[in-house]
Amino acid sequence: MGEINEKEEFDYISTSGVFKTPFTLIILLQFIVGTGIIILVNIWYWNNLYFIFTGSYIFPGGILNDIWSKVLLILLLPLNIYANIFLFAFSIILFSTLIFRILNKISPPSEGIFMRGSKEWNYAHKRFWTAYFPIWLARALPLPWSDIFIYRFFGVRIGKNVVMYEGYVDPLLVEIGDYTMTSLNICIFSHLIYQDHIIIHKVKIGEACVVGPQTVLSPGTVMQDRAVLGANSYTSIGQELEGDLIHVGIPVKLKLPIQSVEDSRDKAETIKGENNADLKKNEEEN
Amino acid sequence: MFQPASLKGASPSPIDERLRKKFFIFYILVIVLSLLPVVLFLLFYILLFWKPEFFWLFFLLLPVSLILSIYVIQISALIISALFLSIIKLIHPPKEGIFRRNLKDKDYVYWNLRNTIKKWPLWITATNPFPWLKNRFSLRFYGVKIGKKVMCDNCWISSEFVDIANNVIIGMNSSLISFGIEQDKFIIKRITVEDNVLIGAKCVLLPGTKIHRGAKLAAHSYTSYDSILEEGKVYLGHPAKLRKKS
Repeated sequence: MGEINEKEEFDYISTSGVFKTPFTLIILLQFIVGTGIIILVNIWYWNNLYFIFTGSYIFPGGILNDIWSKVLLILLLPLNIYANIFLFAFSIILFSTLIFRILNKISPPSEGIFMRGSKEWNYAHKRFWTAYFPIWLARALPLPWSDIFIYRFFGVRIGKNVVMYEGYVDPLLVEIGDYTMTSLNICIFSHLIYQDHIIIHKVKIGEACVVGPQTVLSPGTVMQDRAVLGANSYTSIGQELEGDLIHVGIPVKLKLPIQSVEDSRDKAETIKGENNADLKKNEEEN
Repeated sequence: MFQPASLKGASPSPIDERLRKKFFIFYILVIVLSLLPVVLFLLFYILLFWKPEFFWLFFLLLPVSLILSIYVIQISALIISALFLSIIKLIHPPKEGIFRRNLKDKDYVYWNLRNTIKKWPLWITATNPFPWLKNRFSLRFYGVKIGKKVMCDNCWISSEFVDIANNVIIGMNSSLISFGIEQDKFIIKRITVEDNVLIGAKCVLLPGTKIHRGAKLAAHSYTSYDSILEEGKVYLGHPAKLRKKS
């Protein structure tokens, strides 16, 4: 952390995204694998249906001849389009997790500041481009929680009962605890590209935290258990947010206590009471 | 990068409610004309390969043809809209300035017309699942100058009057808007971003902003109209001000 704090300029800027490299072509490979699997399964499926209805087949092999499998195949017919969509998405997701795991084995992700052209720079780019297409697909699926599964596949630790709506989350070195809520349009960055440097640091979000809408979490942020990050604020690099407090600011400066509904109601009533007492005093004086 | 599906980063092209019905024909025309080449492409593909000897080749090349058809839609949409735009530019060339938000003001009406024509191509490029020939490509097609090694595929950039030089990094969800609507006034002014500039996440640049070489804009800040950011300095705040060294 010390290194970063010395370079003041890093503090306030958090961009994200990576440059295009030749490795980006991996997306084409993923797409072709996905469509290939879909085409093979569909040819097998339609060949079976053809056999059921006509008694002859287009090509031999892979034919199910018992009654139960025939019934199952006919029952699957209305689900065909949905099944194709999910098959396509999940085959690509599994294939790209495999590539992602292999990349992690070759060069395990490490934290720090790296220069352009170093091994870490290259591998960070490779990891991001393998994650690009499956996450795009998961976001396009009608299931709202499908992207959580993908992040888990990629090795992002996401606890149970986590709310994660549409927001940008980096696919590595992010940890989200149980019962945490993240709102719309957030950015959780564990990497930052600054001219010729790439900064990689782990982001840690504790249990039962709330990350407000339109917020940016820079690399190295640690949110302790039950901390709340207010709307429209962002954290600077390596900032620690204390638990049981509300944090607001650009970058985060203010700390506010969390109150229960009863507490705030009581406070409001006491303020009202004081005001009323003041008014009565004024009236009496007049 | 993998932005959520709802934030595709299609460049902003709002259209006046009063003009939407009038220009609806142009909108549909661009869509229909740009879908024709794809239909022809797929027809030729099927005619070529749908024969008993070539079934294996048909299925082998199907993924490639799907990828190609996505790009055929995108590029034909861009070309057709560029044709429309060049005709409109002959009738009324786009220019900077302060106009009135009135249907009698020709500049405002033609600005809306240009937006209706650009809307579909920009949307289709933003929904493209592949990272090649994305927003940056379509913006360059419409005459926005974007230099080399620029990272700007995940932000909103207006499709007119924006200049971006080399080696610029623009953060996620930032927006560069070269038009402003202030009550009954309508303002168009050029945004220029010079070499080696770094713009943080979720920034907003309002019309007329000039960012000089190597300046940095911190995340979550916005610039006001006609603000100038000096060379090699860090700016932050609402609106952006020079950061004092503490």
